[in-house]
Formats: sequence, structure tokens, C-alpha cells
Amino acid sequence: MMHMPLDLTNLPTRRNEAWKWTDVRGRVSDEAAGLSAAGLPKFTLPEGITVSEIETDDLDTDSAMAKLARNFGGKVWAISVPEGFSSDKPLIIEGLNRGHIRMRIDIAKGASLSVIEHHAGDAGGFVNIDMTVTLKAGAVFDRTLVQSDPDDCVRIATAHITAWNDAKVSQHALSFGGALSRIETRLAGMGKNIEATLNGAYLLDDKRHCDMTSYIDLAVPDCTIRQAVKGVVTDKARGVFQGKFHVRRPAQHTDAEMRHDALMLSDTSEIRSKPELEIYADDVACAHGNTIGQLDDSALFYMRQRGIGLAEARALLTEAFVADVFDDLADEDLRESLLAKIRDWLNEIS
Amino acid sequence: MLKINNLSAAVDDGNKTILSGLSLEVPAGEVHAIMGPNGAGKSTLSYVLTGRDGYDVSGGDVTLDGEDLLEMDPEERAAKGMFLSFQYPLEIPGVPTMTFLKTALNAQRRARGEEEMAAPEFLKKARALAKDLKMKPEMLKRPLNVGFSGGEKKRMEIFQMMMLEPRFIVMDETDSGLDVDALRIVADGVNKLRSPDRGMLIITHYQRLLDYIVPDRVHVLSGGKIAASGDADFAKKLEAEGYDAYAA
Repeated sequence: MMHMPLDLTNLPTRRNEAWKWTDVRGRVSDEAAGLSAAGLPKFTLPEGITVSEIETDDLDTDSAMAKLARNFGGKVWAISVPEGFSSDKPLIIEGLNRGHIRMRIDIAKGASLSVIEHHAGDAGGFVNIDMTVTLKAGAVFDRTLVQSDPDDCVRIATAHITAWNDAKVSQHALSFGGALSRIETRLAGMGKNIEATLNGAYLLDDKRHCDMTSYIDLAVPDCTIRQAVKGVVTDKARGVFQGKFHVRRPAQHTDAEMRHDALMLSDTSEIRSKPELEIYADDVACAHGNTIGQLDDSALFYMRQRGIGLAEARALLTEAFVADVFDDLADEDLRESLLAKIRDWLNEIS
Repeated sequence: MLKINNLSAAVDDGNKTILSGLSLEVPAGEVHAIMGPNGAGKSTLSYVLTGRDGYDVSGGDVTLDGEDLLEMDPEERAAKGMFLSFQYPLEIPGVPTMTFLKTALNAQRRARGEEEMAAPEFLKKARALAKDLKMKPEMLKRPLNVGFSGGEKKRMEIFQMMMLEPRFIVMDETDSGLDVDALRIVADGVNKLRSPDRGMLIITHYQRLLDYIVPDRVHVLSGGKIAASGDADFAKKLEAEGYDAYAA
């Protein structure tokens, strides 16, 4: 399907409150690869799962990026996970390197699915991913997302997750940024007793940008939400965290915690953070915490006194700071591979 | 071995002088104690010797085996064999004790051009030492010093010291936070490290520790310099009479 080129004025700008620190329009050039084209994701499927392409103009949200994905992304890549399904193999998604991509994952009652997404863009690329995930009663969804783009690639990856009663969502995102990247997760709690962990880490050098935005909307009781995001920025990089818990009146006994902690390794780097709680139910435990700091000089001296060089001491402390958001990752090998990427990054910047 | 000659140092960007003209020599094989009232500059001396930022040396020099220490970074001094047992050991969240210590040991060995210690040998040594110091094995798996009691932290300092086998040891108020039993275990560990080619400087406010680690010489630090010196019995005299006679 041919389209008119994308009109850049349709992209979000700083004037939109939700995009005030992530100026997509200001960062995208009209020559970006994939700006007006559909992307071609590659799926490695566990046995018993298939992927099909469906044609639909339905939109789950009316966000600007979702509309663009509908206009330029073509068909929807649909994956349905049958009732009671489980596998020790994850669904691996690659080829998220350019263009608009629409995906839909339906996880039936009592089924569980692990997804690993590799977000690695093309030089000068533009990527817009709109993913919809539905978890029926008792379904389990483990999502791991690793993102590292060239420094002239723009990426918006949005996931809309809808969870019904007793569903469990566990998300771990690791980002090394790009020219501009935004990982947005929107979770709607539709059935009671949902458990969700939404952790992430971003490590940014040079002039890279990463935005981790989330919106948790709870309209049902007895849900437990844990969110911990860690950031490390150096050089002239910019990290953005926007987190919101929206606890509606029926969502009694919500137990929700949001944390964002960032380390600034240079004076010229930047952190923008907006944690928000909007609570209408009266019997809930909701908390948020947000810190921005530097490495502890006393700890650094202690390590150096024992013979550890300054660069290695910084790397050890920084790795320890970031790593704990991945502590609860059940897949030990996967966890180790994320930590290895973090170590590589730390070696490169030192 | 360690020679401190006319050392002056200040904090607060050089505005507050703490050490003024301190001279001291600790020959190899000897253990010297430095005693003195609060605020005399005892901890400052330990930090100047090990190269902590924020302590500006305005005069004098310090050599270890003839090499100028003051020109070196803290990690270089450590590789040359300087070890400080901290008055308040730091907690290092997220870094397991064994990882920390193995990184430190091998960084020192690399800096000295020696071969790194292999994991099995390292583990064997660590386990044996932990047993000697009556430390629980799980302490070695936990992040360094995190959630440890004051006494456990001090024992961990001695454990690190015995693993790293430094040439020169500075102990800053090692006895604080230790009960008598722990003190005896720590002192046994330190005494085992006494050897003809190793020197030690024990900084302490109280004489108690020196009942267990008997020094060759005792010095009073007051007003930023050594105000008096004597043998091991001198410490008892100081304990009985106080430091007033040596006030700056």
C-alpha cells in the first residue's frame, strides 16, 4: 500500500504535555528511513504459537503515534496464545529496525508467554511500534526489552497492556538510548487481583536520549504494582522518566510503589522526572520515590584504597546501582546477558 | 620502611591546618602506636597516608621503602602495599564481598606485574581465613558490609587485610565497636601478620587494644605533630594520666 509521505506536523512536539521532554518532531528529519513505510518484524515462535497478519482499522487508543502506526504500518501482526499455553521458550521479536509496526498479542485464560524484544535500529532510521497485549484471567506475560539504537535513530515503542483478573505482568526494559527513544508502557487493570512489575534501566552517554514513560490505570480492587526504574547518564545525555499511577475509586486495596533513581556521572547530563499519583480510592497503599545523585566519593575512596582503579571502582558501583532492577528476572541466563550489556557499556564509557 | 618527614596537611581547601610538621619513622618489622586526644589529627594522618581527596599536603614528604607516596593515586599506594583499616568501613551495596576482594587483589597484582590469583585458590584462602576469624561463611556472599554490625565490619577489615597481605598497615580506631572476644580474635589476626618485612601503625584513642597488640613504640599526636614518644609502657602511663600534659 502506497501512502503520501508522513506529514511531520502530525508528530508530537514539546507543546504536548506528555511529550514535553521528548520532542519527536524536533528530532525527526523528513528523510528518516522508514518514516512513511511499514516495518518488517521477525518472529521466532515457541512451538504451538503462530503469527498471522490481519487487516483492521481498529484503534485501541487515539494517540498520535498509534494513528500513525495505523496509517503507515499496514496489517497487524497478530499472535494468539491458546488457553493454558506455556513454554520454556520465549517468543523473540527482532527486525524492529525501521518503519511503523503494529502488533497484537492475545494471551488466553491461564496461558503464559515470555517475550524478548530486540530493538536495534538502522542508521538514520525512524521506528514507531504500536503493540497491544491482552491478558485474560490468570494469564502471565513476561516481557523483556533491550534497546540500543544508532545515535541518529528515532524510536517510539508503545505497549498497551490490558489485564483481566489474576493476571501477572512482568516487564524489564534495558535501554541505551538513541537520537531519541521513548519506551512507553500503558497498563489498564480491568479485573481484580492483578500483579504487575514494571522495571527498567537506561544508560546513556554522548548526546543520547531515552524516555521511559508509563501510565498504570486501575479501575478494580486488590492490584499490586511494583515499578523501579534506574537511570545512568553521562556526557550530554538526557534521561526522562514519566510515571503515573491512576487509582480510580473502585480500585480499593491497591498496593502500588513507584521508584525512579538516577545517577548523573557528568555535570552536563540531564535528568527529567515526573512521578505522579492520582488516587480516588481511600483504602490504598501507594508510594513513589525519586532520587538523583552522584557516585559516593567515600565508597570510591574505600575501593581505591583496596587497590581498585578509579574507572573500575566507578563501573562496579554503577553496575551495582543499576543491576537490582533485574534481580527478579526469573531467567538467569537472560538476566546475565543484560548485565553483560551493562558491563560492556560501562567499559566503553570509562 | 615508612618515613614521614615534616608533614603538614590541611582540609577545607587548605584553610584548616590539621597536621603541622609531623615526623615519624616506622622501620620494617615494627609496630608503632599513635595515641592522642580527639581532634589531634589522627584520622587525618591515616587519610593523608592513603591519598584521600580533600586532604591537601602543604609541606613535607612521605616515603614507603624510599618511594614517594604523596605523588601516587590511592590505588597505586595500595598496590605498593599500603592498607588502611577504616574507622568507619564503608557499605558497598550490590557488590558481593568476594567479588570486591577478588577485584581488589587482582588489581593490585596486575599493578605489580604479578599473575592474577585464580578463583579456586582465592576461594580456598578466603574460606580458611574466614574460619580463623570466626566469620559466618554467608557474610562473604553478602554485599560488602551491608547490614553488618559495627563489630562485623571491623572483623571484615581484618579479613581483607589478611587476604591482601599488605606491606604496611594503618589501623584507625580498629578497637571501636568490638567487644572483648572480638577484640581478641582481631588482635590474633593482626599479630599473625607481624613479620620482619612488614610495618604497622596503630591509631587509637584508648590503650586497651595495645594490651593485645603490643607496640614497639608509642607516640602522642597533639597539635598536628608528635609531642612525645615512648615504649609500650608509655601507653599505660598515657591512659592513667591523660593527654593534658601534651596539649598543644
